[in-house]
Amino acid sequence: MKKKFLATVLAATMAASLFTGCGSSASENSGVEEITWMFWDDLNATEDLISLGYKDTIDRFNKDYEGQYHVNVVTTNLEEYYAKLNALVAAGDAPDVFIVSPGPNLTDYVEPGIAAPLDDYLAQDGWKDTFTSDAVFSQMTYNDQIYAVPLNTAAACCFYNTEMFEDAGVEVPTNWDEMLDACDKLQSKGYTPITISAGTAWCLSMVAGYLCEEEGVDLQALADGSASWEDGKLEAAATKLTELSKYFQPTAAGDTNDVATANFYNGDAAILIQGSWAIGQINGENPDFESKCGVFQFPGTDRIIAKSDSLAMSSTTKHPEACAALMKYFTDETSQKYTAEVGGKIPVTTVEYDADKAPAQLAYVMDIFENSKGTFGFYNESMPSTETGAHFDDTMVAVFLGDMTPAEAAKDMEDYYNANCR
Amino acid sequence: MDKLLRNKKAICVFMAPAFILFTFVLFIPICQSVYYSFCDYNALTPPKFIGLENYKTLLSDTTLIIAIKNSIFFLIFSCVTQLIMGLFLAALLTNIDKGRNLFKNIIYLPCVLSSAALGLLWMFIFSPKLGINQLLAKLGIEGPLWLMDTNGYIILPMWVIAFVALWQYVGQSMMLYMAQISGISKSLYEASYIDGCNKVKSFRYITLPLIRPMVATAMSLNAIGSLKFFDLIFNMTEGGPNHKTEVLATHLYQQGFKYFKYGYASAIGVLLLVLCLIVTAFINKVVKTEQYEM
Repeated sequence: MKKKFLATVLAATMAASLFTGCGSSASENSGVEEITWMFWDDLNATEDLISLGYKDTIDRFNKDYEGQYHVNVVTTNLEEYYAKLNALVAAGDAPDVFIVSPGPNLTDYVEPGIAAPLDDYLAQDGWKDTFTSDAVFSQMTYNDQIYAVPLNTAAACCFYNTEMFEDAGVEVPTNWDEMLDACDKLQSKGYTPITISAGTAWCLSMVAGYLCEEEGVDLQALADGSASWEDGKLEAAATKLTELSKYFQPTAAGDTNDVATANFYNGDAAILIQGSWAIGQINGENPDFESKCGVFQFPGTDRIIAKSDSLAMSSTTKHPEACAALMKYFTDETSQKYTAEVGGKIPVTTVEYDADKAPAQLAYVMDIFENSKGTFGFYNESMPSTETGAHFDDTMVAVFLGDMTPAEAAKDMEDYYNANCR
Repeated sequence: MDKLLRNKKAICVFMAPAFILFTFVLFIPICQSVYYSFCDYNALTPPKFIGLENYKTLLSDTTLIIAIKNSIFFLIFSCVTQLIMGLFLAALLTNIDKGRNLFKNIIYLPCVLSSAALGLLWMFIFSPKLGINQLLAKLGIEGPLWLMDTNGYIILPMWVIAFVALWQYVGQSMMLYMAQISGISKSLYEASYIDGCNKVKSFRYITLPLIRPMVATAMSLNAIGSLKFFDLIFNMTEGGPNHKTEVLATHLYQQGFKYFKYGYASAIGVLLLVLCLIVTAFINKVVKTEQYEM
């Protein structure tokens, strides 16, 4: 009898222990609204100044709203970010707030109703009026509703090592021929002219995007079928890419974005073609490099590639007010000042920042912005779907690796569009 | 025991846990996967039945062709090398008295370590700026781009990953063969020595025929493991450069979790399942086993 009683008690205890993980968390019971924010960098390990700024924002929010709201951060590396985010969404466990690139990436979350419209929150307390213009929301607007909030703007530029340029007697190139000439001189002086990542395909694809822009590729006309990829423009752009690839570091095929960027700030290569978000990474990893880092516009184009980090809110969040409050913190004066003065990215609000405090590279990027005739998006983010963009990336990498000729690449893209996009 | 086996209730009770686990963890998900493979499904909206469309897409998917080629290479490489190396190590270790357990543990150790961690470790070792190439540079040799070279039908990174996988899993084959070899009666060997056999001959005529059932089992395990191989490749190359080291499992992952194409990813999963069944059946047919008194 005693044994039976003991067994019953033990069984009951075990059964009860199974349910200890269920139900509300202790802090929810204590009245604190818990939300999750998902980001593509490890905030505790990163040296990237923009990511560190985001960490400050989260800490500030958690401190200011102590007892009311609390943010839990979910981080992953950039390469696996969307895979993990999609897995969470598919499992019905979408983070309350998540970072996302505008374009097809955001569309993937807007069309199935994963991202929530933000117009009501933007209208509160004149939040929307703090942004520089309504144009900053253009890539985040679907059927007149805004689905994401931009945090900053960056432009894709050519960063260069001024000491290497001086040593090789090279001037900043302004057209394609001068670019090849500059690379030639740098190479003959013993420097690796360009560091780039083809292992992270979008980095190489970004250069291909600029080359397509030079050749006058019209993505809209290609999508609606009024133009063909085989009209010679992509072929010309891909030919230029193969010419330029002679000056890439030997390990470009497998180097990741981080490795390629490290080649630049460690002085192993003269030019890095990258978005201005790299300023935070360059200055964070090697503060001494700032003084010898110049920036020039990709030669031969009038327009520049621009991109913004944006935040979207899950439509299934139980705490929309907390999410909106968090998003506001990312665009408030403190965060936006930090964006420019420390991170080196262009703020999206009308905040006044001290240009003398900001990294030297930001002033060069601002100059490029002011002198350009407009902006356009990343090619892979301006195509009908994320998969189409990835196909363009892969095709450009195939050209670089010599697996496809430029003409074959053009035919491949035309076939892909005919089968999937028109 | 007989009494227990006559009690149908007891049989049901004992079988229930395994049956429930098998049904919910394996059978139902497999059936679901087969159904989704006939659907356009992104896991966010309800699946839409599209018939054989996903299977038609498989035929024109160039990355899938690379993935199948790499998976088959991996399968053949693993089966052959693990059979030879595993058997060699097992025969060697069963014939030494001193340090047998030490070497056994050392060889088996990589099997119990995390593949993700090992993948990163080997990635660093083969990185052009660290590891092997730096050592070679000190000797004045320019090392190859171990994980980046794209020349050849089977590219260098695939060979590198295959060797790392051999290093990691050879201990498992070795243990299986050792277990079988240690079960062979010593009197058989003693009788063979009296009849004039040397060690090589006794291995050829006694050990090999008696471990055949284990060869079939180990090869089947190797084959299934090779076809499902994911972690080392994902951590060492992520399927790159430009999908050239993609295998079926990494391609499935990309299609499902990167592009939300769960329907198409399920079709790849079904293909993987069918391949596993065919290869296992083939191995069991080819490696004929007979039961001997040991």
